[in-house]
Amino acid sequence: MPLGKQGLTRFLHISEIFYSFLVSLLFYLLLLSRTGEARTVWEVLHPAFIPTLFIASSLLFIILFTSEKVAHNLLFIIVHSVLIHSLFSIIFPAGDLSGQQMVLGRTRLVYDNAIVHGWPPWTVETVPFQIYEWFKGQSFQAALSVVLSRMLSIDIFWVHLSLIPVLWGFFTPIAAFLVTKTLGGNDKAAVLSSLLLSAFPYITYFGAISVPISLGFIFFFYSLFFVLKNLDSSGYSKNTLLMWAFSVLSFLSHSLTGIMSFSLLFLAMVYKSYRSEKKASPAAVKILLAVSFLFCASLLPLSLVYLRFFAPVLYTSFTLDKFYTLPAEEIVGLFFLGELIYGFDIQTILLVAMGPFLALLYAIYLLYRFRRNSTAKYRTQISFLFVAYLIILIDYRILKLFMTELPFNAERLWVIDGFLASPFLGLAICSATSSLKKLLKTTSPQTMSIISRSSLSWRRVLRIGGLLFTLNILTPIILGGWISYSLHTAYPQIAPLQTTWYELEAVKYIEENTKEKYIVIGDQWTTFAGEVIVGVNNPRAYYFLEFNRTGYDLFRKILEDPSPQVMIEAMNVNNARVAYFIVTEPRLGTEEFNRVVYQTLKNQQLRVFGIFGGGKLFVFTYEKT
Amino acid sequence: MGSLQISKVEALVAQDQKFISTLTSYSLVLIIYANLNILQSSVLGVAASILYFLINGIFLGRAFFEKEDTFFRLMLGLLLFIMLLGFVGWFAVIIYNLNATMSSLVLFVVATICSLINRKVNHKKCHSASKG
Repeated sequence: MPLGKQGLTRFLHISEIFYSFLVSLLFYLLLLSRTGEARTVWEVLHPAFIPTLFIASSLLFIILFTSEKVAHNLLFIIVHSVLIHSLFSIIFPAGDLSGQQMVLGRTRLVYDNAIVHGWPPWTVETVPFQIYEWFKGQSFQAALSVVLSRMLSIDIFWVHLSLIPVLWGFFTPIAAFLVTKTLGGNDKAAVLSSLLLSAFPYITYFGAISVPISLGFIFFFYSLFFVLKNLDSSGYSKNTLLMWAFSVLSFLSHSLTGIMSFSLLFLAMVYKSYRSEKKASPAAVKILLAVSFLFCASLLPLSLVYLRFFAPVLYTSFTLDKFYTLPAEEIVGLFFLGELIYGFDIQTILLVAMGPFLALLYAIYLLYRFRRNSTAKYRTQISFLFVAYLIILIDYRILKLFMTELPFNAERLWVIDGFLASPFLGLAICSATSSLKKLLKTTSPQTMSIISRSSLSWRRVLRIGGLLFTLNILTPIILGGWISYSLHTAYPQIAPLQTTWYELEAVKYIEENTKEKYIVIGDQWTTFAGEVIVGVNNPRAYYFLEFNRTGYDLFRKILEDPSPQVMIEAMNVNNARVAYFIVTEPRLGTEEFNRVVYQTLKNQQLRVFGIFGGGKLFVFTYEKT
Repeated sequence: MGSLQISKVEALVAQDQKFISTLTSYSLVLIIYANLNILQSSVLGVAASILYFLINGIFLGRAFFEKEDTFFRLMLGLLLFIMLLGFVGWFAVIIYNLNATMSSLVLFVVATICSLINRKVNHKKCHSASKG
């Protein structure tokens, strides 16, 4: 082995060992940051975490630029990805508040066999609504989590919390790698795009919460890969089958990802027929392509409107209200930057917009380069991905400006936007570094000879030094910084108090010490805690749905009048023998909490069942005689 | 060297001679079922599940991604397997429920599908080899 190569291998080994140490340290720092009472991860995250992450990310980029071993590099990226998506599940006692806890609340019902006659666990009035519930996504995720939980013999709570961070961490970098390869990228560009997924804050956020749409995004990314692969193959192949399979699974996980998968699948089919028939009738296929583009772009908005035929709870419709009610500058802002115009600082706006913008520019550049070479390899895939990108850009604007009462935030499309952008970003960065390397190579032979003669001009030294610095230090540092700052933006800076350890303790204590059917009156935060332990609307251990009016009214009533009458009224809901009333100081405010506790104790009609969190949470009980 | 050994193990599992891999997979389902009802040990559950995942992931990886490298074959096989598990589980949950017995039945069905796909691919390969 030549000395230079041997030195490089040794450097690589040392870098890999150091990187492994840093990642272990990062996981340890996350464990140290674990807390039972916090609003955001930033309140409790170890101060050394972000600097260490920055060093680890930069080092990982250096490894990726140096190493040729794809599988090794991808393994490092997978570990990095799992780490970046695990902040909620490791730091908070019950993961992120609300969304993923609501999903766990429904999954619990399946796990605890509280439902025995098929999904959904609640009654639905019509057959279309029943079908809607089957395909809503919660049922698919519930099934997957429950089967995995039973296989591993680990409580559903832990399986649910880690399901998405682990699956996302493992499979999205691989999907980014494969998509980049189908665009003609080399291994370096492909591994770069895998890691650059973490530079998109929305991707990081959705990979950190266990909700059905996150599962849908994973399947969407693979359906995109097989769609791209299928563009090259003729007739029916395994890729065709896999393309359909992933699209169906993407639809089963969430309607948004499913509809987007199918619209791209349809576009791919038209693309294929365009390629095969463009010589026979060029005008006709061009019209077909244009019409298909419009159809694919309108599929998502139209589907959302027509979803109401299945679900009477949805009221999505087209509207021009925003144009009448909002000022012109806000409309323009929404058109270009979307939600980012509301309260985000300039750095955040730049960070979120930079990746997709650079990717779009590079895609346009690639298409411009191929403009006169219609037979260029990968041209079809690149132009297809560019068109897909345009569809997302258009759909987001339609959803944001022309629609109302959407069943989800239009910003969820930014995750797909990031998926489409990361391969172009990887290709762009790889191409830029390759150009720098070429420039360095043309200069270096002269350098070596001149160095030995000690007559190198300062200008040349600066040029070569600058190139070496940019390639080996500056680029990894900038990219490492980008990923670290992106993480800082991805996890919310403002949030309500997360489910606390004492709320969980109280709920567990009630469950372990009650033999009979019971019902719990509490605020929605109590419901969030309750549903992760026993589920929501569980007939045996009843917590009201998070935003249930009856539950809310009962809670308000008992705050005013902590008497057995309200408890008895609640017991009638599920024919329970025991009722509990939970009141928590940080949720209610000290003054109100003290008043309610004092009044309840004074009345002596409700018994104290338990006090948790050093007096921050009281559980009162009443039993039917 | 390590990659070569993994490939060898993978080939051995995928050959499924005398149904050894399939029977191992079924035995693992039985172990998981027994563990669910009697022992409830996470260690045993994790160990059995990893083996079960590997066998069926290899079956699907070899069937659908033969041209890919070992690493990608295994990972994509595992992803397909998770998809299949979710799909069969989803079907069970919408028509009935997913108690311990039904979950084990889901595992059994998924193992059978993976084994059948693997056998079909093996059969095709033997057929084309004998033709060649």
